[in-house]
Amino acid sequence: MLSMILSQAANGLVLGFLYVLIAVGLSIIFGMLGIVNFAHGAFFAIGCYLALTLGDMFGWWGVLLAPIATGAIGMIVEFVLIRRLYDKDPLVSLIITFALALFLEASLRALYGAAPQAYNVPDMLTGFVIFGPVLLTKYRLFVLAVTVLALAAFWLFLNFTPFGRIIRAGSRDGEMVGLLGINLPVVFSFVFGIGCLLAGLAGMLAGPLWTVNPSMAGAAIMPAFVIVVIGGLGSFAGAILSGLLVGLTTAMTIQFAPQWSGAAMYILMAVVLLVRPRGLLGERWERFE
Amino acid sequence: MDDTKTGNARGLSRRQLLTTAAGVGAAGIGAQLLGAPFVNRAWAADPIRIGMLWAKTGSIVDQAEYLAQGCQLALEQRGNKILDRPVDLVWLDEPSPQGAQQNAERLISEQGAVALIGGAMSSLALAESAVANKHKVPFIAPNAAADSLTGSACNPYTFRGQPPVSVHTKVLAPYCAGIGKKWYLLTAAYAFGQDIADNFRHYIEANGGEVVGADSVPIGTPDYSSYILKIRAAQPDVVIGGISASDLTTFLKQWKELGMSSKIPFAEIAVGNTDLWGVGAQAAAGLYTLTWYYKNPDNPADEQEMAEQYQKKYNRPAADKTWMGWFGMRSLLSSIEAAGSTESGKLVKALTEWKVRRNGIDVTYRDFDHQMINRLLVAGIKPKITDKWDFFDVKAELPKTPADIEAAYGTEAQSACKMPTI
Repeated sequence: MLSMILSQAANGLVLGFLYVLIAVGLSIIFGMLGIVNFAHGAFFAIGCYLALTLGDMFGWWGVLLAPIATGAIGMIVEFVLIRRLYDKDPLVSLIITFALALFLEASLRALYGAAPQAYNVPDMLTGFVIFGPVLLTKYRLFVLAVTVLALAAFWLFLNFTPFGRIIRAGSRDGEMVGLLGINLPVVFSFVFGIGCLLAGLAGMLAGPLWTVNPSMAGAAIMPAFVIVVIGGLGSFAGAILSGLLVGLTTAMTIQFAPQWSGAAMYILMAVVLLVRPRGLLGERWERFE
Repeated sequence: MDDTKTGNARGLSRRQLLTTAAGVGAAGIGAQLLGAPFVNRAWAADPIRIGMLWAKTGSIVDQAEYLAQGCQLALEQRGNKILDRPVDLVWLDEPSPQGAQQNAERLISEQGAVALIGGAMSSLALAESAVANKHKVPFIAPNAAADSLTGSACNPYTFRGQPPVSVHTKVLAPYCAGIGKKWYLLTAAYAFGQDIADNFRHYIEANGGEVVGADSVPIGTPDYSSYILKIRAAQPDVVIGGISASDLTTFLKQWKELGMSSKIPFAEIAVGNTDLWGVGAQAAAGLYTLTWYYKNPDNPADEQEMAEQYQKKYNRPAADKTWMGWFGMRSLLSSIEAAGSTESGKLVKALTEWKVRRNGIDVTYRDFDHQMINRLLVAGIKPKITDKWDFFDVKAELPKTPADIEAAYGTEAQSACKMPTI
């Protein structure tokens, strides 16, 4: 039984990391732009479809381009639509991004059809790795490694580069940053693009494991929201911590009480919010008070 | 300043005008693709309206697209008219059982639909069936398999095309028992999955086998690795699946990824071709029941012709769901023609009398439960797939004889349906 629990925990952590990648983008878009982006799952789906399309056209280099292309699409969407929502009521951004999610899903359906697309694990990443009692597939280890690297790179970028400091400062007091002569709209476009890039990366990685169809966003967006809420809105570290907690909780519930597996993360969210209404690592943000 | 030159003739700038026009255009396209009714109309005067309820969002949307296209094709084959009147096919979404009921109400009350066809999933079909019964409007459910639709929840206005779970089970279970007697059940947490779990458990326990594990899986589960680890530990001879559409696709991809497809056989009833096409040639595996397959050499001539027309129109092969939509719609259109009317009572009577000869048997809706009587295909995945559409080897078409068919579908005395009279 111990080996089973360890294997479940390892698989739960991999799932959790994938959720984290989706949730971090959602979290930074909310934390820095104040937008509750219901269309985030659609960018996850776009990343997956782009990986499929660009992979067919250019091979592996094309697959690697998919997250960047998703980020670029995100910046265009920010320029055309999202920046008009910054000074509006949060409810407006919620409704508009919900409509955007439906529109993007319908666009994918119009372009690719509703039927799922075949997208499998590449041959070089098939097979297993066994660590004592723990069994993991090579592809899941690859997902784990890419996710950890991407999150580490993003954290370093935010904390140790001048642009990262501008982003963090802009999220707390945009007016002051603007008065210092910094072009804040460009910064915000970039932030939205980064968030979409992370969602696109998650879509690219999830494609070989999940069903690739225009509705795949739905499977990503709800766990992402739960993770952001549990971790604390806008908290990078909180999203990571809660993503891993959600992955572990889901895996352990499937092992011991499978009938509760669908509800497990929502129960976890309810418990956390009862104890810490701001989420695990949520802070007090003046602009949202 | 001359306002007309700057685009401000009515207080609207050119920029605002262009933005508004683009917004209206985009919203129109969005509405067309999503919420608003899609109306496939033949010509203007005095149309007959038929309501279609197929999912436009959610896990079953891939199958629903083929079902809808099959319905449209059946109508096109008749020149988009019936009783010398044009036909409007009005398509609304079925996002959830509640949403399906609301849209069924809209189709009947607002659009004046004389009949409904839809219910891509059993839970949706059951919800729509209740509305059809309330409004006394005939409802064809070509795809739903839950036993109760033509069993305990039957009603005079609901007609079902898909054989129920119990019939699929009787066809596939002997094949599974031939592989081994230790079964693991992995089924969805709604009517279809629960019926599969009950039927297969009953079969194997009555035939000297055992269920070594059973999990009920929420719809839309994105990661099955934890379930697969449990199955791996239980070491069954066969895994019986009861998860549908994109959930099945996700499961099979992860089943292969975790190296199980070459170790433990997987079997499931009533799958869709699209579920396996989405898995891809590399990961597809298993033993299944299907209602139809485009490469089955025994398909009658009219079905081969339909498949050719579909291929020509959509540049891809017709799926089993295309056939189910087409066959269900054909039964409805033929019945309207036979009734010479769209009046509900006459239409119900015509549907119960509708009959076509197919591969040596009379395919009909039974009068006592409105279940269509038809055969099924048992099919396995080809050992080597060379065509990205041609995945299945058809092993048998069952039940074979009329006596076998009656035994599989059960008699009126065995039926849970207590059909009230109209």
